[in-house]
Amino acid sequence: MTIVTRKLSLTLNDKAIGPIDVPETMMMQDFLHEYENLTGSRMGCGQGICHACTVVVEKDDGSLEEMRTCIVGAHWFEGRKVRTVEGQAKLGTDGEIVALSPVQQAFIEHFAFQCGYCTPGFVTGATVLLDKLKREPIERDAVEQTITDALDRHICRCTGYVRYFEAVRDLVLKTPGLVKA
Amino acid sequence: MKTILSRRTFLKASVAGVAIKISMLPIAARAELIETPPPPAADWLVAGGKPKYRLDAIAKVTGGKTFARDYRARDLEGWPKEQSHAFMLHATRTDRVFDGVDLALLEPDLKPDRLVLHEDLVADGVTIPVPGFYGDVFLVPKGQTARLLGQPVAMLIYHDFARFDLAKRTLRFSDNVVRYGGAGPSTTPANYGAARYVRIDGGTPDAPDRFSALKDTVIWTGFKGDDPQWPAAGDGDASARGMTAAAEIQNEIAAAGDDMLVLKRSYFSQSIDASAMEADNGNVWYDAKTGVLHAMVATQSPYEVAEVAAVMVSKSKFPLKSVDLKVGYTVGYGTKDHAIFPFYCVLAGLYGDGRPVRLANDRYEQFQTALKRHAFWMDNVMLIDRKTGQFRAMTGTYRNNGGGRENFSTSVGTVGATAAQSIYYLPKSDFSAAILASRAVDAGSMRGYGTLQTMSATEMMVDEAAELLGLDPIEFRRRNALKSGMKNTQGAIPSGAMRHEEILNKAAQHPIWSQRNARKAEFEAANPGKRYGVGYGHVHKDYGTGAESALASLEFDAKGHLKFSHVAHEIGTGATTSQTVMVGAILGKLPDETEFGKVRWPNMPLEATDQPYTMSQEDEDRHKLNPRWTPTFTSPMSASNSVYYLGHATREAANVLIELAVWPAARSIWSRGIGGGQMAPEVVRREDLRVADGTITAAAMQPLSFAEIAAEAHRLGLVTGVTVHTFNRWQWAEAEFDLDEAGHQRFAIDALAVKYGDAATPERKALMTADGWRFVDRASVSYPPTQRNNAGVTYYAPMATLVELVVDLGSGDVKLLSHHSIIECGTQVVPELVSGQIQGGLAMGIGHALKEYLPLYEDGPGDGTWNWNRYELPTAKDVAVWSQTAEVLPPLSDSDPPKGMAEVVMIAVVPAIVNAITHAIGKRFYELPVTSDKIREALA
Repeated sequence: MTIVTRKLSLTLNDKAIGPIDVPETMMMQDFLHEYENLTGSRMGCGQGICHACTVVVEKDDGSLEEMRTCIVGAHWFEGRKVRTVEGQAKLGTDGEIVALSPVQQAFIEHFAFQCGYCTPGFVTGATVLLDKLKREPIERDAVEQTITDALDRHICRCTGYVRYFEAVRDLVLKTPGLVKA
Repeated sequence: MKTILSRRTFLKASVAGVAIKISMLPIAARAELIETPPPPAADWLVAGGKPKYRLDAIAKVTGGKTFARDYRARDLEGWPKEQSHAFMLHATRTDRVFDGVDLALLEPDLKPDRLVLHEDLVADGVTIPVPGFYGDVFLVPKGQTARLLGQPVAMLIYHDFARFDLAKRTLRFSDNVVRYGGAGPSTTPANYGAARYVRIDGGTPDAPDRFSALKDTVIWTGFKGDDPQWPAAGDGDASARGMTAAAEIQNEIAAAGDDMLVLKRSYFSQSIDASAMEADNGNVWYDAKTGVLHAMVATQSPYEVAEVAAVMVSKSKFPLKSVDLKVGYTVGYGTKDHAIFPFYCVLAGLYGDGRPVRLANDRYEQFQTALKRHAFWMDNVMLIDRKTGQFRAMTGTYRNNGGGRENFSTSVGTVGATAAQSIYYLPKSDFSAAILASRAVDAGSMRGYGTLQTMSATEMMVDEAAELLGLDPIEFRRRNALKSGMKNTQGAIPSGAMRHEEILNKAAQHPIWSQRNARKAEFEAANPGKRYGVGYGHVHKDYGTGAESALASLEFDAKGHLKFSHVAHEIGTGATTSQTVMVGAILGKLPDETEFGKVRWPNMPLEATDQPYTMSQEDEDRHKLNPRWTPTFTSPMSASNSVYYLGHATREAANVLIELAVWPAARSIWSRGIGGGQMAPEVVRREDLRVADGTITAAAMQPLSFAEIAAEAHRLGLVTGVTVHTFNRWQWAEAEFDLDEAGHQRFAIDALAVKYGDAATPERKALMTADGWRFVDRASVSYPPTQRNNAGVTYYAPMATLVELVVDLGSGDVKLLSHHSIIECGTQVVPELVSGQIQGGLAMGIGHALKEYLPLYEDGPGDGTWNWNRYELPTAKDVAVWSQTAEVLPPLSDSDPPKGMAEVVMIAVVPAIVNAITHAIGKRFYELPVTSDKIREALA
């Protein structure tokens, strides 16, 4: 048999998953789509260029990291805590959305996206940026450049980026503790 | 005369006995949007009826299943849960014959569950639908050469994902999988067509033209080799007279003296990939037991996909009773309109052994097979009076490369030719398009649609002409800009006011322009090794296709619950949001329930011939006597058509509802009581009716809620539902209807169905035989004359862009410091959506001007190795994300309709950038994109 599988266990959107037999060569993106029916982390390039496929990985110290799932194998995530875009909003007991995350709320209020295909990646990227700023606040005059440096790797073909970036800036400025007084 | 597949014209593909059902899938997503926090209804709209966020916002921001690509069989109600997957192998050369596929790289357990070759299709009677438009074969036959690079040769189907995934990764990029035999003759089709638009005015812009396409004819011809064979000049038929007019222009240019500037320049605009983030995909389940083809496909043209799929399957050995197509939200910038990919998905489904099969391009495959933007080669000549600085004439000879399937190439070529005048009045003009076939990946519809290419060239050339004339570029444009009532190069008068001078004046006063020389000196003094430049581009872009049709429906119950249905669906532009907002603006009441992407309308039993461009006036006059006939049934989501054309159906439906329901019901309420009630002391006219704070009032009458009006309309048995069909051929069709006590009414629609309220008389209810509606046979109809097809366009939206940039003399790199755009788009329905379109279009234009490029042939995308690692898309750092600005001219009045603006927004920035580079370094460029390498070369 050509396909060699291994057991995979991880925490996905606060839920323990596995152990599941997953091919050793399978990318995380395909695991999410085909095994977990979580299609929000989108296939854009399959090369790690566009960042439409990213997810949040919560490290042991509680800090967040953005990971591409189209070029990282599913088994790299063994034992890790992963949050996809589907796990960003707070859900009620029946799975209904109770509250969007601050980043999601900012994006919808700024009309940040159009087709929305790249939106999950931007939600992930901005969420990780906010987490970083919580730990390492920046000067006000560094806000725009910091956002550009953090999110420039995300490709969007519809919006020209402006409304995404303005949404993140507004959120950074209004969230206490991200910008040095 | 050659049959022309003009933009969005399509062969009528009707199959007797095959029912077609199409529905917008993400109903759950929409329902979630409406019913989950943040609370919808009250929260969704802020003061003034403007939306707080998009209708589709929550589904999209939470990663809900919204795109066709997100769905698997398990997500689709009634489908088997087991999902099969397919991929295709592609030809990467066209000079040698295809000799089969070699799957030796695959271990036995990775062999496909089903391998499909051309010969299988022949055996099963599966043929290409609409030959010519979609080529002649799906898969390359053994022993023949591929028609185009990247053409599929085989389809491999797997009944589980893991094997599919590993097999695909194993075969990808291998040169040995597709086997070739010896050299074979080319199978690339013949060149597609050639057309010419000649105009000579009558001495003044107002006088009748001596010759024009609208008045006389578009000149069509065929080829010898790659050269169009234009008819001989003469005084016989219209084409011969047109050639005489063309010769007169050529002679005038040849004889020009020193008082004239004759400028001849050649330009090139490259092939690009639209790079829509959602790659082409579909999921098809053919249920042989029931004869139903179930499909979930990403498309901008669902009606066409369902119709053509029905034709395709019904001609084969596979029995077919119905096609059930579902569509998700999608994005394509035109490339998912009338694309062949959905029919490969149908193929996959037919060979799935009863299982749903998913065919979804990865990015390499998307580059290899998706429709491309046409490369254009453009030779322009301008004849300008040196004294007045005004155009005497302009000619343009354009060739565009359509690749190996025709698709919309002919239409793109002609639209490009008719746009070449840009914003200028030309007393004499001669623009021709030669649409060439080649072995390149096929090109088709894409945002800009030929006009990006030709208008950019004109705008670059205008700057050079201004320099040679010693005129300020904006002043030169001002002297030549089209004014209201002037004709375009087809001889048609554009709709409404031309506001170019207003835009030019604003641009001239903008600091980027007015301070450009001072800023240049200052910047360059402070930044050695860098050069500062400012450039301007100013264009206007048509919207619509010349055959735009749509359906919309509004109905309410006695409690005022309002349901809105529309053919429009969502391709990212926010159409579903803006259509909904338009209803609210007219009725003072937002729909409680929406259904988009609806294409099955049993209450509108129309008979469409779908030949709106080619039907003769005589035939049309005969057809229109049938009150159920219409030129076309519905349009795809394309050509910037949603807000104006599809919105016209929305607005007319709402206005007809006002006329037949709201106004009589309100009058009834206001007349209650002795002596004629509160209405008696006042003169209250229909035109006094207003929406105020979500209520209906008129001339100080008691404001009424929609619920009160709805109750009264149902109590009186009035009309409580309206469905309209609309048609536009650069002008709206209008029809008259006899509506009992509502009298003889004329609306800008060509078909109407109504529904009567609860208390309607039995006689009225008996009329509601069309799926519970009364289809009202029109008393008369007025369609725009067929000659108006030659107008090419009458609706334009203008936009200008100023760009401020820096060129690094060492690297040749260009960095945009800022840009400012000025647009006129009538009344903005949702300003945030307008601004989003502007920003997104600018980014796409920046990519076209500076970065994006595809070789056409063997080293191009057809080789299957292209992806975004080597095809560079603009990122935030490239677009002046923090410093760009834009302004929208206010409408002339609140009765200005909205204008389609999703395409024009990407164009002006292209020549503006090139003109700015020239200002920066003193070198002119004639080929796009202007890369760092080209700049370094120019500076060397």
